[in-house]
Formats: sequence, C-alpha cells, structure tokens
Amino acid sequence: MNRNYAVYALKRILQAIVVILLVYVFTFVVISVLPGDPVTNTLRNPESGFSEAEITRIATYYGLDRPVYVQLGESLSRFVTGDLGLSLRSGLPVSRMIGEVLPSTLVLASSALVLALVLALAIGFGTQYLPRRYGQGLLRTLPSLFSSVPTFVIGLVLINVFAFQLGLFRVIDADGGPATFFAALALSVPVAARIAEVLVASLDHEARQEYVSLARSRGLGQARLLLRHLLKPSSLPVVSVVAVTVGELLGSTVITEMIFGRVGVGTLLRQSATTQDLPALQAIVTLAAVVFVVVNLLSDLVYPLLDPRVKLVSRREKAEVAA
Amino acid sequence: MKTSRVLRILLSLVSVVVLAACAPGGAAAGGGSGEPKQGGGITFLIDSLGDTWIPNNSAISSFQGHIWGHVTDKLVYVDENGKASPWIAESWEQNAEATQFTLHLKKGVTFSDGTPLDAAAVLANLDIWAKGDPARGINPIGLFPKTYDHAEAVDAATVKVFFKAPTLGFIPTLGYHGSILISPKTIALPAAKQADLANDIGSGPFVVASWKEGDSVVLKKRADYDWGPAALNHQGPAYLDTITYKLVAEPSLRTAAVQSGQADVAYNPSPQELASFKEQGFTTATPRYLGFVNGFAVNTKVAPFDDLKVRQALQHGIDRAQLISTVYTPDWLPAKSFIQSNVPGATDHSGDFAFDAAEANRLLDEAGWTKGPDGVRAKDGKPLTLTLYPNPYLATSRSVDELVAQQLGTLGFKVNLQAFDVVTYGQRVKVAGPNVPAFEVTRSFIDAGTVAGVLTDANKGENWFGLGQSDQKLVQLATGVAGADNVGARDKTLDELQGYVLQQGYFVPLTQIVQRIYLQSPKLRGVTYNGIAYANYSTAWVG
Repeated sequence: MNRNYAVYALKRILQAIVVILLVYVFTFVVISVLPGDPVTNTLRNPESGFSEAEITRIATYYGLDRPVYVQLGESLSRFVTGDLGLSLRSGLPVSRMIGEVLPSTLVLASSALVLALVLALAIGFGTQYLPRRYGQGLLRTLPSLFSSVPTFVIGLVLINVFAFQLGLFRVIDADGGPATFFAALALSVPVAARIAEVLVASLDHEARQEYVSLARSRGLGQARLLLRHLLKPSSLPVVSVVAVTVGELLGSTVITEMIFGRVGVGTLLRQSATTQDLPALQAIVTLAAVVFVVVNLLSDLVYPLLDPRVKLVSRREKAEVAA
Repeated sequence: MKTSRVLRILLSLVSVVVLAACAPGGAAAGGGSGEPKQGGGITFLIDSLGDTWIPNNSAISSFQGHIWGHVTDKLVYVDENGKASPWIAESWEQNAEATQFTLHLKKGVTFSDGTPLDAAAVLANLDIWAKGDPARGINPIGLFPKTYDHAEAVDAATVKVFFKAPTLGFIPTLGYHGSILISPKTIALPAAKQADLANDIGSGPFVVASWKEGDSVVLKKRADYDWGPAALNHQGPAYLDTITYKLVAEPSLRTAAVQSGQADVAYNPSPQELASFKEQGFTTATPRYLGFVNGFAVNTKVAPFDDLKVRQALQHGIDRAQLISTVYTPDWLPAKSFIQSNVPGATDHSGDFAFDAAEANRLLDEAGWTKGPDGVRAKDGKPLTLTLYPNPYLATSRSVDELVAQQLGTLGFKVNLQAFDVVTYGQRVKVAGPNVPAFEVTRSFIDAGTVAGVLTDANKGENWFGLGQSDQKLVQLATGVAGADNVGARDKTLDELQGYVLQQGYFVPLTQIVQRIYLQSPKLRGVTYNGIAYANYSTAWVG
C-alpha cells in the first residue's frame, strides 16, 4: 500500500507541474494573437497627440515586434528561474504587484470559505434536525436559491443596506473588518449553496442506513446522532466539492472585489486583461493554475487516507485481479 | 411555541430597524465663514489611477493629472481663459521671430528631496519632455513643440530655449499638463524605478506620503512650499494637511459616498444627476477646458464625404441644441467654432453650421441623393451610409452619437454605430482611416497653434481630414497659423481658418466639452481650477 501510494503521489505531482507549464505557454500564445499591447495603447490616447509614425517609432524600442516564439522563449527561460518580469502597463516588477495584492485576496477568499462552510453546515444540520413544520422544507430550498442569485446582486444589496442605510461600514474603507466580512458574505453564498447541496444529499443518504435506525432504536438523540455518526461519512464528498469550488471562489473574487472596492488579485487580473499586459496576465493565470492544481492534488492525496474503503492498486495488481 | 414567539418578535424588530434606516439622507447646510482654516484632510474618489507612474508616460492622463498637479509645479500657469501667467518662470522674453525664448526662474525653489529647481534642472526637464528616452521606456510628451532644437543654462536662474522654426505656442505649452517639473535625480532613474510613485520627486505643495497600486494615493502637505502661481490668491503652503485619492470604479458608489458624508469629492458623476445634487445642497463644478470641441473630423477620402455638398448637409443637419437639452444639462455650452470658446483666438462662427434641416435636404437633393421608399437616400444604387464610432474616452459619446444618428436618419442618412472598448478602438479606429468616415474628436490643448498640426500632413501633421496637401487654401492658412511670430497676426489667420474649415464641412462640431465634472461636499471651500479643468486644492480648506 505504501509503495503504491508513493508512486501515485509522484505521478500526480509530475502531472501538476506539466499542467502549470502548459497553462503558462497557452496564456502567452492566446494573448499574443490579439492585436495591441499596453505600450501602444497608452501612446494612442488622443490627449497625447502622437501621430501614427511616432507611435510606431516609439513602440519598436519595447521590442514588441519581435517574433512570437522568440518572446516566448525569453519569457519561459525567465519564468523557470522565478523571474516574473516587468509589467508592460505599469513598469513595476510583476512579483511586487502580485505581492501587494495577494494578502487582500487571501483574507477575502479564506473568510469566504470559512463562512461558506459554516453556512453549509448550518443548513445541513438544520435539514436533519429541524422537524418538518419548523421550516425544514424552506431550508432545503436554500441551496438552489443561493445558487441562483448572482454574487454582484447580493453584494450591491448588502452595500446599500449595511453601508449606506445603516452605516455599519464605509465603502471607501474596503479593507476594514466589517467591510471584509460583508464582502466575504457576498462571496460565500454561492459556494455555501454548492457545499450544502452535496452535504444535504450525503446526510440524507447516510440517514437511511441501517446503523442509523439501529442507533435511534437504542434511544440516541438526533443531535448526537448527527455529530457522532452522520457527519464524518457525509464529509467525504464535501472534500471533493470544496476542492472544485476553490477555483470558482477565485473567479468570483474578481466581481466581489470590484463591487466592494477592494484591491486584490481579481482587480489586477481585470486590469491586466483589459490592457493586454502580458507578463502580469501570465503570472496571475499561472498563480490561479497553481492554486487549482495544488488544491486538487491535496484532495486527491488526502482522499485515500480518509476513506479506508479506497485502495490504491498498481497496474500489475490490477492485471492480476483481472486474470 | 415559545421559540416561534421569540422568532416573530425578533423578525419584527429587524424589519423596523431596516425600514427606519431606509429614509433618504441629505447634505447638512453649508456653514462656516470665508476665512481659510488650517488643517484637515479630504478624500477624493476617482474612477481610475491610470496605468503607470513614469512621469513622462502618465502626465497627460486625465486621472493621474490630478496627483501630478499637486506633487509638481510647472514653469507657467495657464488659467481657464488660456492666459499664461508666471509660476516657476517669473518672466520671459522671446525674439522677434519666436525662435528663441529666455526664461527667468524664481529663486529659492527646491524639490522635496532638497535638490534646487534651477536652470540645470529645467534643462534636464525640457530635454526629456521634448525627446523622452524611448530606449529606456520613457516616451516624449506628445504635444511638446516638435520644432525644439536645444536649451542652454545662461546662469543658475536663466534658461534660453532654441527652436528650429517660429513656435509661438511654446510659453502656453509650459503650462500644459504634460510639462511637469521633476527632480533631475528622478529623471536619471531607470524606468522600473520611476514607475514607483514614491521615487517621483517634484516641487509641489504636496508630497506622496504613501500609495497602493490601483487603490489609493495619499498626499501630505509640504510645509516649506512658498512658490505657488501668481494668478492664484494664495502662494504659500497648503491649508489642508492631506489629500487622499481613492479609486472607486462605480460612479454611483462615488456619488453615494459623498452624499452620505463618507468622502469629500466624487470625480465624474453622471451629468443627469447634477441638478439633483445641487438641490440637495452639494457643490458641483463643470470647469471650462481648453481644446477642440467635441465633434467629427470628416474623412474626405471616404465616399460620399469627398463631395462638399454632402459634408455641408452633415454640417447643417445636426440639431446641436437638442443634443444639449437631451444628453447634457445647461452646464454644457453650444459650440461656436471647432475650438472651445475660451481658447484665445476662438471666434464665433455658429452661422457656418447652424441647424437647417431644409437646407440640408436641399444640398443632398442637389448632390444627386434621392430618398427611397424606406426614407434612406441613394445614388447610383448605393445608399447614403455613415458609420460612427463613439469615442470611449468621452463617457457621453455613445448617447450623443445615438441622438445624432436619429437626427441624420430623418434626413435620409443610414447611420451605423460601432462602439469599441479603449483597446480595440485604439487598434481599429484611426483618424482619417480607410473605414472611418467621421472620427470623433475629444482633445485638449493649451495653445491654438496646435490646430495647425492636425489639418494637413505638412510637417508630419496628423492630416485629420485626409486631404494631404490637396487643399491649397487650407495649407496656406495652416502654415500661417503655425509660422506666425506674433499673436495679433495669428489670431487674424486663425479666424479665417475657423470659418474656412467649418464652411468646407471638414469639421462638424457637436458641443463644447466639459471634460471633468466634480461633485463636492459643501464643507470644502476655496477650490480653484486651471485651464485644463483640473481642481487645485493648494488653495482650499475645510470648514
């Protein structure tokens, strides 16, 4: 088992590295195909008063007219040594720009994830604990309700009610505690929906098992039943779902950051994409790929350890079993 | 049973609180005396903080210009009537041909890092404005006179500047938002270091305390500042302690924040909301601006706009008064020429493009365009089409173009609108481009001499109307403006030029532009505006 696991882990890690490199190259190719770049865009601003000839003359200094494969080779060789290059839009080192925005996004995303888990657990607990007439039916509809309301609508409503009407936080102090809480809340709602759906389904499934009826017949109360017996086996599918939703969380931070005026990776991504700032864009997309890959990798590595029924077999053993 | 009663009470309490809080807010009555008060800070909400902070590459930005205006000084101050007055340059002379200028600098001026702002520093700035350093990634300033030859430091407080041809517009250009004076130490830094705003040292009334990319810039006052523009009523250190520029991309959030007292100034609110802000007791400012009016540069290389009659029909076929009453507010002025009416040398030529639908129809009939059954005019089987590209640099451009399309539709034009974002627009829509029959102009300038550089392609001109040098009269008038060596002669030629360009239908004016709109808390007083409509807080106070 241990040797099989080691082989499995190594294969998954190598796959992860290949994916990250492919993402880097793919982003480069896709953006290079589009016409335009931040340098000429700045020069084309009508306030500048540059003529076409002048723009071409100045732009050649930036080396943006060299063949694509030459630029890709240069970019890739820098990347593997850890040099992310200079942003074409701002002129600052890309690593510095990402370093400045990353903490805000990490705080937002992790608070959103925690809130989502709390919400999902509350819904899951509620569906099993609350009797029918106290709103169990309503709770069951919440996951689909939460999935259908877009994040930006929730965000705008929260801002209007809690910031402008009730004055609980200031829109322009976006990094403060209360503002972060509401931003995380807006972000967490669709994620909570996704997790809650899976959790409720698993809990229902587990609740129908024979050992549950046995436990109940022996007088075990609903709360203890939930906590000690139902939660653990139901949480396995939740682990997979969380791994997938982390990616969705990253994507939604772009919109939430825009609504709440936070400066995070999402904001940087949006600015780099709209101005075609290739070095920054590559760095962010690669970062997102790394996060995705790492989270899925962890989930794949952890799953066999959590569930004793999952056994890793090597190819040789599989053949033996088939024969 | 008990829990549901508790729940019901809680629910009703919450709804009472929420409903009570839904009452609309308003501004507190503006009070305070007229005396400036020391201290305090303001928050300015802005829609963008630009892309790069390399001074040469960002100075002309409509957003970053606010920060540069407080952190740096200029040699000359230009007010909203285009009049140049002393600032860092106390006085100046020129020779009779306007090819040599001597600037006498104020003494005792220093950058905030202690470097003196003397002739050597001015020299370094003039060179970098004129030529930039593209090999290092530093662009030249676009509207700086291309006839620049070189400059010399006669002594520590005198600079002599030499031009290859008469350059009457040189002094006003020194007050243009691109001509910011930066410490020579900063100019010598590599581009990656200049991109860090904290390294960009100026001599202005404020210095950068901190900044966060894409989020905010915090300025704090410079206590030893003592050389403000002579035209303003206050030349000493600022009254305000700090100015915080905060990026809030949503216009409605910016205005709501000012209305609820969370910020002091909101930049670029929507024009339609201005009336209601005034009613609530807030201050709104739509300062005048120097430059071209908003209008179309017609491409004579694209049929049917090679025909004078069609161009003139376009000229007389647009109801500009309706544009102002529908899209804008009375704060916007009707165009009187193709340059803003406060530009020195601008004259009233409204008669040359007065709205006259009957005349427009007659011109089109004479040109051979007959109306078909669907209302669209055609000639030789081809419909009379016009494609308009709303300019993404002007927020209201799309609404204006839609109304113009409607108006022209009644004359028999088939108008298509193609709206692009900033990047695609820069790629595909170029003035006098082969698929661009009408290019929407929105551009500021400090000196009317700039106009000469766009009319033809003589002297690497921008050739806005696609004429090359085929219109001899235009070439003659443009050369007259560019080569004039005194303002009186130039104004005469400029007057003739404005009439000619409008009568020939080369430029179709729409409205005068209000480039920058400000919504301001009534607590903020004493704000002044310069010739390119930037707010200046070195004279302002809160109280």
